[in-house]
Amino acid sequence: MNRRDALKKSALALGAAAGAPTLLSLLQACAQTDRLTWTPQFLKEDQAKFISAFVDFLLPKTETPGGLDVKADVFIDLIYAKTYDEAGQKQAEADIEKFNTDCKTKFGKVFAELSPEDKASCFQEHEANSPKFPKTVWGGAVGPREPVGFYRGLKSTVLWAYFSSEEIGKNVLSYDPIPGEFRGCMPLSEVGNTWSF
Amino acid sequence: MANFNIDADKNLTYDAIVIGSGISGGWAAKELCEAGLKTLVLERGRIVEHVVDYPTMTLDPWEHDLRGGLTPEQKAKHPKGGRSGFIGAMNEHFHANDVENPYTEVKPFMWVRAHQMGGRSLLWGKQTYRWSDLDFEANAKDGHGVDWPIRYKDLAPWYTHVEKFAGISGEALGLPQLPDSHFLPPMELNCVEKHVKERIEKDFNGRNMIIGRVAHLTEPLNGRGKCQYRNRCDRGCPYGAYFSSNAVTLPAAHATGNLTIRPFSIVQSVVYDEQKGKASGVRIIDSETSEEIVYKAKIVFVNASTLSTTQILLNSTSSRFPNGLGNDSGELGHNLMDHTYRVGAMGTVEGFDDQYYKGRRPNGIYIPRYVNLKDGPQSDKFVRGFGFQGGGGRSSWGAGSNQEAFGADFKDGLMKPGPWEFFITGFSECLPYHENQVYLNKDVLDKWGQPTLSIDAEWKANELALNDQARQDAKEMLERAGLKDIMEFDNKHEMGFGIHEMGTARMGRDPKTSVLNGTNQVHGCANVFVTDGASMTSSSCVNPSLTYMALTARAANHAVSELKKLNL
Repeated sequence: MNRRDALKKSALALGAAAGAPTLLSLLQACAQTDRLTWTPQFLKEDQAKFISAFVDFLLPKTETPGGLDVKADVFIDLIYAKTYDEAGQKQAEADIEKFNTDCKTKFGKVFAELSPEDKASCFQEHEANSPKFPKTVWGGAVGPREPVGFYRGLKSTVLWAYFSSEEIGKNVLSYDPIPGEFRGCMPLSEVGNTWSF
Repeated sequence: MANFNIDADKNLTYDAIVIGSGISGGWAAKELCEAGLKTLVLERGRIVEHVVDYPTMTLDPWEHDLRGGLTPEQKAKHPKGGRSGFIGAMNEHFHANDVENPYTEVKPFMWVRAHQMGGRSLLWGKQTYRWSDLDFEANAKDGHGVDWPIRYKDLAPWYTHVEKFAGISGEALGLPQLPDSHFLPPMELNCVEKHVKERIEKDFNGRNMIIGRVAHLTEPLNGRGKCQYRNRCDRGCPYGAYFSSNAVTLPAAHATGNLTIRPFSIVQSVVYDEQKGKASGVRIIDSETSEEIVYKAKIVFVNASTLSTTQILLNSTSSRFPNGLGNDSGELGHNLMDHTYRVGAMGTVEGFDDQYYKGRRPNGIYIPRYVNLKDGPQSDKFVRGFGFQGGGGRSSWGAGSNQEAFGADFKDGLMKPGPWEFFITGFSECLPYHENQVYLNKDVLDKWGQPTLSIDAEWKANELALNDQARQDAKEMLERAGLKDIMEFDNKHEMGFGIHEMGTARMGRDPKTSVLNGTNQVHGCANVFVTDGASMTSSSCVNPSLTYMALTARAANHAVSELKKLNL
């Protein structure tokens, strides 16, 4: 990573208002994920169902593609398979099991089988209880930091899987692989969506 | 371009040998080859040909199967350098293997190495500033370390010389503590940076916030293309827009017909001829075959990068120099310096929500040193000073991880850029302390059975006091500039994080207290030159690479002149 990459891609606490999902978005989120339509490399079937359900509830299909449309779940399985060492893989499995166990305790079912309302309750609780990522300077964390936990870590991975996909990176965000020039100030309206990278 | 002559073994004798092909080695090769010397460059890693050997230079995230993620096997090769946070799949192949090249941290020290043709010139930050007499006179004035044997006037023409060929963009401001270079047009500040600049310069007399001065072309130069604002520099630039040995100096050296570059050549020692009282050549180990070969030359330039250069000198023992070549003073390996890293402040800027920018500028802002200048405020808490780098931009989708939100509105909201953020981070000068040192460790051997380095160095009271002030000043400047949600930080990184290792074979006026003379020649072995970071007598707070280039060009031209006079 280039030192000058600064803050553009960093996870910063923005103090954004807690977003209670609208009724419409809840309805849109109600996709069927009870049958797995792909073959995981690492995850067991029930774990893969969890990841798919998590992806779909976090980033549902709207006028733009949803997380499942760009196969964010398939990519996350690949990341577990190819970039995690054995200890990391074991931890990921344990974290998924625990997430589901907690859902069962609280709502009577594993996450993938919950109603949209219960999924929202589950996410809201995790949002409230999960520490935030630290701010970063040139790719390194600065300031106070504590482990963000499984929920926020997975959320971050889902965002990466989604926004680094070709469909979103090329066709939804503003894609400009060779800008050719630097313009320090221009109306946002001339660009539209955020730069892809 | 290219097809470098790598057939070194049919001829074992050269006019000059250059050890290392990074920023300073590349310059030595260019200057010596252009002066007509048959020059052998010894590179411990592989050949990296400009463009041809930049496999990731144009990859979009989705064109890499793990989208930049590293496998456990890749991570395992970088337990040390990985601490920098800079190693990803797009540049991993340019970082040295820490397992095959161990070193020992007596105190924590992160040593980033790049073992291939071009070395760290492929990976560097490209910030390029002249030093001034504030720096060259500092040791003499406050008594820390020894006096530099040169002053700014000695180096000024050589700064110009290297700048004209390297291509440095920036704005001329006439600041005495940060002399202007021979500049290509500056890059532009963005809206928020312009805003913060106005506020800081209005509120703080004597402080300037400028666009970074960088070794990036903003106009074509000598067949190299200008920066395309992709900010994928650390993969190698297809346009040759930033300065690297691979794109700039080595092709120029090659064009003379005088360059031979031998890859996979680990230098074991410089060979000293007791009869003649000078070096006769260099002994290498072929990293692939383990074969030992001695190459001979009239002069040797040691440009292996600060600590590797000193490692070679320490390992070059003889009856005359039992403790390492040029170590009569006992200072070889001592006075290791670096710059402090990640100490400053950040915040958000309101009021520019309808503004954005185009292009990924591989550069930021710079706030030159303003404390302890010849005229102006003096601190009673520390000597020397610090400068800041930084920059502003709008947050992107990554910021969504911390938003307490999810679902459709959350997703669609992340399609638009987030708030403007701005940060500055200080680089403080490090004093030369004899006890900050490296030495040979014969208990830990590398893959080729060679002794390795132990590094025993730490920040001391003056650096910590500088950092305290830098952090407080950063916060104050951002507050007065009207930023919100300001957070100050000091990561207290160990030495090495600045990746500006300097010293350990310092220049000086007195052979009793220094390793090199005023033209970078080893005391007692005048045909060996050291012109990389090892030669530095003090560290300034200013990025050092441009000074290595100028010192190298100056020393190489001195070497040629001395050869002609039959003095070497």
